Formats: sequence, C-alpha cells, structure tokens
Amino acid sequence: MSERITRAQIPMEEMGITPGSACQGCGAALAARLAFKALGPNVIRHGVPCCPDTVTKTPQIGTVFEGGGALLTGTSRGLKAIGREDVLAVGFFGDGGTYDIGFQGLSAAAERNENILVITKDNEAYMNTGNQRSGATPKYATTSTNPVGPKSRGKEQPKKNIPFIFAAHYVPYVATASVAFPEDLIAKVNYAKTITGFRIIIIQSPCPVGWRFEPEKTIEIARAGVQAGIWPLFEIQNGHDFKLNYKPKELKPVTEYLKPQARFRHMTEAEIAEVQEDTTSKWQSLIQSDEMGKVLI
Amino acid sequence: MIEIRLHGRGGQGAVTASRILATAAYEEGQYSQAIPMYGTERRGAPLTAFVRIDNQRVRERMLVHEPDISIVLDPLIAKQQGVVESLKAGGIVLLNTAMAPEEVKLGGDFKVATVDATTIALEVLGRPITNTAILGAFVKVTGALKLESIEKAIKKYFPGRLGDMNIAAVRRSYEEVKGPIQAVVKSGVQEKMDLNVGGYGVLKDVSSWRVFTPEVDVDKCISCKACWIFCPETAIQWDEAKKKPYIEYNKCKGCGVCANECPVKAIEMVRVEV
Repeated sequence: MSERITRAQIPMEEMGITPGSACQGCGAALAARLAFKALGPNVIRHGVPCCPDTVTKTPQIGTVFEGGGALLTGTSRGLKAIGREDVLAVGFFGDGGTYDIGFQGLSAAAERNENILVITKDNEAYMNTGNQRSGATPKYATTSTNPVGPKSRGKEQPKKNIPFIFAAHYVPYVATASVAFPEDLIAKVNYAKTITGFRIIIIQSPCPVGWRFEPEKTIEIARAGVQAGIWPLFEIQNGHDFKLNYKPKELKPVTEYLKPQARFRHMTEAEIAEVQEDTTSKWQSLIQSDEMGKVLI
Repeated sequence: MIEIRLHGRGGQGAVTASRILATAAYEEGQYSQAIPMYGTERRGAPLTAFVRIDNQRVRERMLVHEPDISIVLDPLIAKQQGVVESLKAGGIVLLNTAMAPEEVKLGGDFKVATVDATTIALEVLGRPITNTAILGAFVKVTGALKLESIEKAIKKYFPGRLGDMNIAAVRRSYEEVKGPIQAVVKSGVQEKMDLNVGGYGVLKDVSSWRVFTPEVDVDKCISCKACWIFCPETAIQWDEAKKKPYIEYNKCKGCGVCANECPVKAIEMVRVEV
C-alpha cells in the first residue's frame, strides 16, 4: 500500500509543457500535471481520444479508443524484449477510454496482468465532444444526451463502479485518487511505480464546463466529493487487500457536493435523499472492508 | 444579403449570439443562417461563428469569407485573430472594448464602433458572458434588425429571469455603444500578433484568456504551497529561496483556483482593464 507523503516531499520538477490548451480551471490538466510529476521522465505516455490536458515532455503515442489496452501491451512487451524494463508504459486515458469504449482492451490486458500502469482522469462524461453521457456519469446528472426535461430527470443509471470491476480482475493494484488530495495522489503513483503487473489509478477530475460550475471551484468541488463519501479514496491489492485512505469521523452531507454543480440543479429533495442514502450505505461497507483489511464481496 | 462574422472565446457565447441573430431575423420574416466553426473549441480558446441574413432563400452553405459586419466579443481577441481580415469595403467592425472608436488601432476602409460589453455583462449578468451584451450595440450600429425581435429571440433561448437579465444587457449596450465612425488609421490593418496554434499561439501566451488576474500579497502568504500545487497550468511558480510563490502571467488563464484555495486569502483576483 502507498505511503503517506507531505507537501514538502512533492517533487518540484514539472513534466508538463505549459500553458496547454485545456479550459480554465481544468481538473484533468491538474491530474496530468500531478501524475506525470510523480512518474518522472522514464515513461512512455499512451493516449486515446480525450480532452487536451497537460502536454508532457515524455514520449507520447496515441491510438483509437478501443486500442488503448492493446497498445500498452505492445509497448510494455517491446520494452521487455529490448531490455528496457526501467521504462514504464503509462496509459493516460479519459473515462470513455476506461469505463466504456476502451474497456474491453483494458479488461483483457488486466486479465493477462500486463506490466502497465493506467491512469484515468475521470471527468464523468465525454467532455471533449460536448458533455455526452458515459458509463462514468453519475445518476441524475444532466448531459447533452440526457438533458433534463418534462419527462427526463437526467441520467437514469448509477455510475459504473470501475475500481471494483478492475479489482475483480485480481490485478496487483487498483486505486482511486482526487485532484483535491495531491499528496495522496502522488503517494499512490509513487507506490504504483514500485510494483509490476497491471496497475490502475482512477483520478476524479472535475470539469467546470460539463459539470457547470465556476472554474475557481474545481478543487473545492473535488474535495467536497471526497468528504461527502461520493468519491472515496481507497486502494485494493490483488483483488482482496483493502485500505481506505481518507476516513473522516463524519461524512459531510452530499448537498455540499451536489449544490454547487448546475448539472444537479434540478434534483428534488427526495432525489437528494436517495443519493445520500446510497452514499451512506456504500460508505458503511467500505468502512467494514477497511476494518477487516479485505474486500467484502 | 448581410453576412456577419463573430469572433469570441469559448464560453462567451459567440455561437449562441449567432443563433439569436438568425432567430431574430427569422422573427422579422427574413431568411437566415447561423453557422458555428467546428474545431477544438474550448472555454477560453478563440473561435468564430457566422450569420447570413437575406430577404430571399439563402443558398450558400459555406463559411462567411468576406463579411459585411464583424462582431468582436472579446477585447483581446484581435491579437490572435484577424478580426477585420477580408472585411468588405465600407463594412462595420463592432468591438467589445472600453476604448472610444477613435482610439482603436485597426485601420482600413471600414467603420468602427465600440461598446464595453464585458463591464455591462459583469454588472448586469454578474459573469463575463458578452454575447447578449453586444447585440444591442449591433442593432443600434447596423440597423439591420429591430430591438424587439432580438428580445423575442433571447426569450426563446433564455426563458424566465435569465432572459430578462439578458434583455437588460441588450438595452444597456444599445444605449452605451459609441460610433460607428470611419476608421481613423488608414493602413496597418493587422493588429494580429502571433500565429494561432490551437488557440494559444506559438508564443505560448494565454494572458488574453483572462478576465480576472491573480495578484499575490507576499506579506500575507504563509508558504503553504496550496496555490502552487493546485495550479493546473503551472503559472504559479515556487521560489524555494524565499519560500513564496510568484506568477508567470503568460501561463495564467485566470481560472481563480489559487485565490479560492489560498487559506489566508493572500491571492486576489482583480480585473485589469484592457
């Protein structure tokens, strides 16, 4: 499991080439900056179609949505063949490339336990093309393909529980992180660098345009999500060892996360209560898992 | 036929403005088109949109290459896009700037009108979304459409209170617009400074994206590094010797995350007039 670090231990060297072409207050740009800061120069970055976040100084290669897992596999095996196992094949994908279109390739790579690291910047919809719903979009969020109207209440289905889906592949390391907790994020990337096999870190990255809030609130909202238990920070090793990294004595109400975002503005009291109940019950089972140190399935 | 080109930034609503214009023309019984330019447009990045208005069916389907009227929604966009490029002789350029038309540096055979739409939008709507705040000025300057039909179109796009606020912005810009006058400068059409690559230019300068600029009060700073670690664009650099942050303004897009995250409020977002 990852070891806690302090802000003073965060490396000073930047891997990004800035300014990039991301929107103002982009959570994904910050996720890329922090993750590649921790990874250092010895990586090959792989991309599938996604928002333009922070461009990095690392070598970079891109492919189609479906090919992410296969391309990473090829690079990692190629590096092994030429004896450069000190170089890490890193996939930096969006939620579409992980949860939905890219899933089958990644699932296959996870099942084969390829020696790769996948980092997902999860902004909870296809933001680059204009906020279309994805498997990562939470329930009741309004998107351009699930707009709220007289008959519609936004997305009807809950968000896919992708960390546990990858944990169920029994891969060496699965973790969630948030841009509001940079120490935790960098500690997890640092730890992921030290092990071999399939590793995945999913970073929640708020999107001011798609989630519809003022750009200065990016970190505030990401933090509220973690503190309300909507985006819990945890790690899972080999599909069973479990650790919760952020355990407040008491969770904040979900309204602190939902209210500032205009994509949830239409929600009624009953719908908010439903989200609150759902979050609390999931949190209970996470606390139980943490106490026992293993995933309860 | 009247052909209009709109220059703006993602998030200022240039595309919505083009639709409002086309809808307003339709309300007056004219034929109209609104065409957005598709590319990698994002919030803050420069973009263009086009409108055609005619009293007979519009057969053209291409982008507007030689506009009669150029509407500029952003005070600094002229540094990245040629806002008067291939403007028809005798055309009109309507600029969002606090300057009077006489002070504008653009030159050529066209008329210049100015309105401080950013201030109007901030005071009326509370946000720097200048699309409706410039349409009132458009009506006054060109006379191509009636104020009532613009208001009717706005009601269609923004129902309720938001519509009323936008209509207030339109009326105010109708009153406050200055010009049009013949361009003072005769030559030197281009004010454009750099090549436009992906919206931020080869000079790697995004200063023009900002409406509000962060300023650090070093005496208040407690050296917690929060602003440094949370800046998405590494605009905030850390001075290891002094243990204080400093800002590289060419990288700052003005999102305001640093000011919001500073625990002692040592960073303030101020509006710098341009």
